[in-house]
Amino acid sequence: MEPTIEVQSRLTPLLRQIGPGLYELDPSFREDMRVPARIVADEELLRQMSRDRSLIQLVNVTTLPGIQGFAIGMPDMHEGYGFPVGGVAGTLLPDGAISPGGIGFDINCGVRLLSTGLHHEAVKEAVPALAHDLARSIPTGFGRHGRLALSPEQLDRVLDEGVPYVVRVLGLGTGEDLTRIEAGGHLPGADAGKVTVRARERGHDQLGTLGGGNHFIELQRVERIYDTEAAAAFGLFEGQLTILIHTGSRGLGHQVCTDSVREMDRALAREGLRLVDRQLACAPFSSPEGQDYYAAMCAAANFAWSNRQVLTHRVREVFSRRLGPQAEAWPRIIYDVAHNIAKVETYGGQSLCIHRKGATRAFGPGNPELPEAYQQVGQPVFIPGSMGTASFVLAGRSESQAVSFSSACHGAGRQMSRATAKHQVVGAELRKALNAQGIVVECPSNAELAEEAPTAYKDVDRVVDAVDTAGIARKVARLVPLAVLKG
Amino acid sequence: MEPGAYQFEPHTSEVQIRLEGSSLPELFEEAGYALAEVMLGEELPETPPDVDQEYITLEAADTEALLVDWLNELISRADMRKCVYTHLVVDDLAGGKLRARIRGYTPSVLKTAVKAATFHGLEIREHEDRFTATVVLDV
Repeated sequence: MEPTIEVQSRLTPLLRQIGPGLYELDPSFREDMRVPARIVADEELLRQMSRDRSLIQLVNVTTLPGIQGFAIGMPDMHEGYGFPVGGVAGTLLPDGAISPGGIGFDINCGVRLLSTGLHHEAVKEAVPALAHDLARSIPTGFGRHGRLALSPEQLDRVLDEGVPYVVRVLGLGTGEDLTRIEAGGHLPGADAGKVTVRARERGHDQLGTLGGGNHFIELQRVERIYDTEAAAAFGLFEGQLTILIHTGSRGLGHQVCTDSVREMDRALAREGLRLVDRQLACAPFSSPEGQDYYAAMCAAANFAWSNRQVLTHRVREVFSRRLGPQAEAWPRIIYDVAHNIAKVETYGGQSLCIHRKGATRAFGPGNPELPEAYQQVGQPVFIPGSMGTASFVLAGRSESQAVSFSSACHGAGRQMSRATAKHQVVGAELRKALNAQGIVVECPSNAELAEEAPTAYKDVDRVVDAVDTAGIARKVARLVPLAVLKG
Repeated sequence: MEPGAYQFEPHTSEVQIRLEGSSLPELFEEAGYALAEVMLGEELPETPPDVDQEYITLEAADTEALLVDWLNELISRADMRKCVYTHLVVDDLAGGKLRARIRGYTPSVLKTAVKAATFHGLEIREHEDRFTATVVLDV
């Protein structure tokens, strides 16, 4: 029988607090643990985690071959399939494991924040029309209208080259855009040849689409500034109109993960190895299966950044159409971060494969990967709340390296199943309630709306405070929605 | 739960389905119907859509892997062809091989976009008069 983790106000000896907002479960908890399980949380969030299987799933992460330091659970951690959502693990290269399940099916699901020079009060009458125009510009579900269909050659170049190709050849962006995206919107390890025909067939007309679930575009206003220096560096001011885009690699990325899990599962079977959960399938990073997956994952990540770039272009088209050519109305990218990805990064002089599944990179000041404008203040980190609630902008701190392999949380984290949410929340009434708060909602399905109700998610203010307390990233701004568009 | 049926079980973030079938082919068909209901958000139409059948042939190392492959085949075809497969017949399932015929249609609203079927917690169990399984879908 699986050992249980008891989380009470008096901590059990094996789960102890090691610092402000930081807990660790000792490896002696279970025989196959290679490292401790570290959790970023306050006591209440820890109690919430104990209600589903996320803590045990984090323990499973500690069994990854080659894992270094600790497996980390973020304050928004919740039960996933195999690995928890809201988890981070670093494995030692060249032979440490890479695991598609440690990244997720939606490779490079991530968040992009756009700013404008507009105060929301100056354009509040235009917000419903902006939202409606966006909804008409972006294909949803199986809709065929407005799709950007790529030729096989164009798709190859998107997969291999990412956003630089979308900007320089397809003409959908600016040179400045490239400096404001994690990795410049391009992972050089990509190989389009490692992406299967099936994945290409799914993805060839999906650039510029949101997808369903918790993906969205939100028009927002900056409600509060916490850190004036970082806000000024990011280009944020109180009352400003901003736009947040949350989506990933769509069916192409899902297929890459599906294909890779199947291949690794077969490889493990050939070796006669059996895992506690087959969804934990992994391979040494240096193995053919590991290298094939990494190359395909990088290609899917490039596709996802390209997707958010095309969506940015659509937003710019709509803003230009509705608000005119004024410079203040043209949305600029503040930053774009991935929260389902594997990155090769250096810690303690060692090259590690950092798996982030529902976790965001949070580099501190002085990191050479950051654009010049952000060098003094650190990397922007975006924590979207659930629909109708606040989102946060944070700035990464140098301490995040030692605390969490430079990682922060990615959102509020679910605390209620979709079925329960649908029973407890009536989608049509939620839509009315959001409208009554002044939030415009563009979503084709009331049932989907109910599943994404705020009550289905943890308290984002609490989650963000936990990240701040642990020293990973500091709060910069709080954003609240004016309009929500769902895929 | 009667054989030849499925029901949805609680899961924090994904969709978990419990399946029963009096035979393995029926279990697999029920898995496909459950997937279609998740995608449509409502009961499936009785009448098969008036379209040509598509044929599926799959091979996997074991029956669990074959079930995951079957569901992922339905998911990826749905994404490519922009339709939900509501009428499924598994003609043959033995020795890790499957042959099936499917028909689907394009709904006006796609309620839930399913990313993939997972191996998480999957085990097909044979009982005296039925087969059961639980499978988690990433949505």
